[in-house]
Amino acid sequence: MIFRKPTPIRRPAPEGPYPPTRAMLDEPVPERLRAVQAARLRKAWESPKGWRYWSAVNNTEVGKWYTVTAFFFMLCAGLLALLIRLQLAVPENELVPADRFNQLFTMHGSAMMFLFAVPIFEAISILLLPGLLGARDIPFPRLSAFGYWCFLIGGVFVLGSVLFDAAPRAGWFMYPPLATEDEGPGSDIWLLGLSFIEVASIAAAVELIVGVLKCRPPGMRVNLMPLYAWYVLVVGGMILFAFPPLIAGDFLFELERSFDWPFFDPERGGDPMLWQHLFWIFGHPEVYIVFLPSIAIAAMIVPTVAQRPILGYSWIVLSAVGTGFLSFGLWVHHMYTTGLPAMSLGFFSAASEAVVIPTGVQIFAFLATLIAGRIRMILPMLWIAGALAIFTAGGLTGIMLALAPFDFQAHDTYFIVAHLHYTLFGGMVLPVIAGIYYFYPFITKKMLSERLGRRAFWLIFIGFNITFLPMHYTGLMGMPRRVFTYPEGLGWEIPNLISSLGAAVIAAGFAVFLWDLIRSKGDQPQIERNPWNAGTLEWAHDVPEENWGMRSIPHVTTRYPLWDTPGFLDRVDTGRFYLPDAPEGRRETLVTSVIDAEPVLVQRVNTPTWITHLAAIFAGGAFIFPTFHLYTPAIVSGLLAVAAILWWLWTSTAWPPEADSKDAGLGLRLPIYVSGPDSVGWWAVWITMLGDATAFASLTFGFFFYWTAQPDFPPSEALHAGAGTVGLACAGFAAGWALTVAARQMNRHACVGMARAGLALAALATAGGIAAMIVAVRPLDPTSHVYPAVIWALAVWICAHAATGIIMQLYCLAGSLFGKLTPRYDADLWNISLFWHFFMLSALVACALMGPAARML
Amino acid sequence: MTNQEHEPLPDEERREFSAETGSLWRLTLTPLTWAMHLVLCYATISLACARQLFPVEVARLGLIGASVLALGFICWQGWRAVRQWNVLTTGVLTHPNGKAEDRHRFLGHAATLIAVISAIGTVYTTLPLLLLEGCR
Repeated sequence: MIFRKPTPIRRPAPEGPYPPTRAMLDEPVPERLRAVQAARLRKAWESPKGWRYWSAVNNTEVGKWYTVTAFFFMLCAGLLALLIRLQLAVPENELVPADRFNQLFTMHGSAMMFLFAVPIFEAISILLLPGLLGARDIPFPRLSAFGYWCFLIGGVFVLGSVLFDAAPRAGWFMYPPLATEDEGPGSDIWLLGLSFIEVASIAAAVELIVGVLKCRPPGMRVNLMPLYAWYVLVVGGMILFAFPPLIAGDFLFELERSFDWPFFDPERGGDPMLWQHLFWIFGHPEVYIVFLPSIAIAAMIVPTVAQRPILGYSWIVLSAVGTGFLSFGLWVHHMYTTGLPAMSLGFFSAASEAVVIPTGVQIFAFLATLIAGRIRMILPMLWIAGALAIFTAGGLTGIMLALAPFDFQAHDTYFIVAHLHYTLFGGMVLPVIAGIYYFYPFITKKMLSERLGRRAFWLIFIGFNITFLPMHYTGLMGMPRRVFTYPEGLGWEIPNLISSLGAAVIAAGFAVFLWDLIRSKGDQPQIERNPWNAGTLEWAHDVPEENWGMRSIPHVTTRYPLWDTPGFLDRVDTGRFYLPDAPEGRRETLVTSVIDAEPVLVQRVNTPTWITHLAAIFAGGAFIFPTFHLYTPAIVSGLLAVAAILWWLWTSTAWPPEADSKDAGLGLRLPIYVSGPDSVGWWAVWITMLGDATAFASLTFGFFFYWTAQPDFPPSEALHAGAGTVGLACAGFAAGWALTVAARQMNRHACVGMARAGLALAALATAGGIAAMIVAVRPLDPTSHVYPAVIWALAVWICAHAATGIIMQLYCLAGSLFGKLTPRYDADLWNISLFWHFFMLSALVACALMGPAARML
Repeated sequence: MTNQEHEPLPDEERREFSAETGSLWRLTLTPLTWAMHLVLCYATISLACARQLFPVEVARLGLIGASVLALGFICWQGWRAVRQWNVLTTGVLTHPNGKAEDRHRFLGHAATLIAVISAIGTVYTTLPLLLLEGCR
C-alpha cells in the first residue's frame, strides 16, 4: 500500500484578476449594499460588553492594556529611582538602609528593562502594526492576549516583591556568586518571574514578525513597507536571538539555586563568567531592541513633519538591519575588566565603534528629510528633536566607553550611569512619548493637549540634563555605582544634590504628562481623521472608532497612499477594496506573500475568550511556585497550563472550514485554509523554533565554554553518560522524527490509516528515546561537578522537548481520529513536522555531545 | 501586471521578476559573514590563549587570512548587489514605486549598503589582529 503511486489532493489556489485595474476600483458600490456590509462587518468585530470586555483579544484592546500596564510599571520603577535619588541627595544619609537600597536599584533597572522598555515595544507594535499594514488584526490575537496576561501576572509578581522587602538585590544583571549565594527568594523571583515574561516577549516577537511578513495589504512589496514595519521585523529577529541565551542562562542559574547544580561555582568546576557571557549576549542586543522601535517611531513622525517622503529609505533599512547585526558583536564591552586577552577586547571594541555608523546613518536620513521638506512643527517633533539631541550626547560617551582603556577607568562609576541614561532617555523614553503624542488620536480618537505637552517636554528635558549631566563628573571623580551612601569631603556632595533636584524636575514633567493622559476628554469635539496630515495607512482609521480596523483592505502601490493615491480613502470607506464584508460573521484578515504581498489566503482570526487567561494563570503558577520551592503545585499548575493550551488549540485552530475558498472582493477568490509555508501557523512555528534553537545553542556554548576555559573538562576520571543508552535515545528520537514526517506524507496522499499508525509508533519511539536518555544519565551526580551537571541539563532540555513532541504527535493522531485533521486539511501535521525537524537537530547535537564528544575532548 | 503607477524606468527590463523568496535572506548574507568572522576570531584567540591549543601567533596570522577571505566574499556579494540595483546603467538611485522591478532593484540597493557596512565591520575586527600581538 505504501508503494502505490498516490494522487495528491487538489488544493485551491487564488483565482481571479490581480492586481485590480483602475476600472475595477472605480466601480461604485451601491449605497444599500455598503450599509449591509458595514453592519455585518461591525457585528463580527464587535467588542464584548460589560465584564466580558476583559475577554477581548482584538489588537486594539490588548494593545491598550499592554501599553497602560507597561507605562504603569515604568512609573513604579521611576518612583524607585526617586527614592534612590532621595537617599543620595546628601552624604551619609540614613533614609534608606543598604539592603533596601540594593533592592531599589536592582528593581529600578530590572523593571525599566523587562517591564517597560521591551514590553512597551510589543505593546505599541501590537496596537499600531495592523493599522500600518491595513490589516484587520494581527494573525494570532489570542497569542497576544495570552502574552499580555503572562506579562501582567509576571510583572505584578516581580515588582510586588519590593513591597514585601523580598525583591531581588544583586543588581539588574544578577552576577553570580553574589546572586547565587544570596539568601531569600529575591534572586529566584528575578529568574523565574522574568523568564516567564521573556516567554511572553518571544510570543509577541513571533506574532509581530509573522504580522509584518504575511499580513501586509496586497501590493505592499518589501520596498513599500512603512519603515516601522522594517524595524519591527529586525527587532523581532533580534528578540529571537537575544532572549534565548538569557533563558538558557536562567535555566542553568535556577538549577543551581534550586538543586545545587554547580554551573557557576568554581569550587566544583563551574564558572561565573559563563553567566556574564550569556547575560550580555542578551543584554547588549537588548539595548538596541529597545532603541530601534523607538527610533522607528521617529521614522514615522519625521516624514509627516517634513510633509514629504522620507529621504534615504534604503539607507534606513540598512541602518536597521546593520544595527541589528552589529549589536550582537558588542557584548564583551560590558566585560572589559574581566581579564580577557587584549586582542579579544579589541574585536569587541572595534564592533562597538562600527555600530556607530548605521546608528548615525538613520539620524542623518531624518535630518536630510527635515531639511528637504517644508517643516510643520508639531508637538511630537519637539520630543523627537529633544530625543535626538540627548541620544547623540549619549552616543558620544558611548564612543568613549567603547575604548577599552577609557572603560577600565570609568567602569562601574557614575559615568556609566550617565551614559546609559542618555542613550535610553534619548533613544527610548523621549521617542516613545513622542509616539504617544503622535499616535494618541489614532489610538483613542482624542487629542492630547499641546500646552501641557510642551510643558511636560521642557520639564523632562531640562530635568533630565540637570540630573544626568553632572553624573559624568561624579563618575570621573570616582563615585562608584550602587553605593547606598558616600562620605563627605570627596567632592561628590554638590553634583549629587544637583542630580537629585533634577530628578524632582523630571518627576514633575512626568506628572504633567500623566495628567494629560488621564484627564477626562469627554467634552473634546470629534477630532480630525488625519490630524497631522500623514501619508501612511494607519490614518485611514475610522473616526469615531470602529473595531474592524480597516473598512476594506486596500491595494497599495506607494509608500504614502494617503498622499499619493487620489480617491484612496473613499475607496477604503466604501468597501471598494478587499474583504469589505463578513457574510459568515467571522473575523477575517488577508494573508499575502512574503516579498510581494500577493493575496494568498483569507485568514480567520480568533474571537474573545477566557482560555488565554486560564492558560496564563496556570503558566504563571508553574513559574511562581518554584520561587518558594513548592514543586508539586508547580508541576500541577504546569500540567493544567498545558491542558488549557491544548484545549485552546483544539477548539479554535485549524478546523476544516465550511468551504474551500471564498470571494475576497474585486473578483478574487482565495482559499480559507492552507497548510505548510503558505500558512501563518507554519511561519510562527518556524520562528519560535529558531528562538528555541538559539537557546539550545547557548547550552552547547556553555559546554564548550567550560571546555575552553578549564584545563580539566571533562575531568579525566569523570563518569560519562552511558554510550549504548545515548545511542539508543538517539535512535528513538530519529525514529520519532522519521515516522512523523512519513505520517505527514502518508496523510497528504490519503493513506490515513498508515498516517495514524505512523504517529502512534512515532510517539512510542520518542517515549523509548526519553527512557533511554534517563537511563543514560542516571548514574551521574549533577551536584558533584559541573560536567555531570551540564550533561544532566542537556538531558533535561532534550527530554522536555521530546515530551512536547509526543504531545504534538498524539494531538495530530487525535485530530485525525476526530476529523479535525484530514488529507486535505493537514496544517497541524505540517507544523509539528517542522518542530520535529528542529528537535531532531538538537537531539543529534545533544547525543553527540553526551556520547562521543565528551569522551574524545 | 496591469498596474501602471509610474512611467517606465529608463531601461526597464521588461520582464517579470520571480518572487525572489530568498532575497530577504540574501540581505543577511554579508552581515552574517561579518558575524561568523567575529565569532571565529573570538573563539580562535580564546582557544589559543585560554586552552593553549595552538600558538597565538599562528592563530593571528590564520585569522588575518580569514579576514581576507571574508572581505573577498562580502565584496563579491556586494558586487552582485550593485548589479541587481542596476544604478550604474540606469542612474536611478531610489525605488519608491510599486512594480516588481522597483522591488528587485530596491533589494539590490539595500543589499549593497548592507554589504558596505559589513565590509567596514570586518575591517574593524581585523584591526586588532594587525595592531596587537600575544595573549596579554
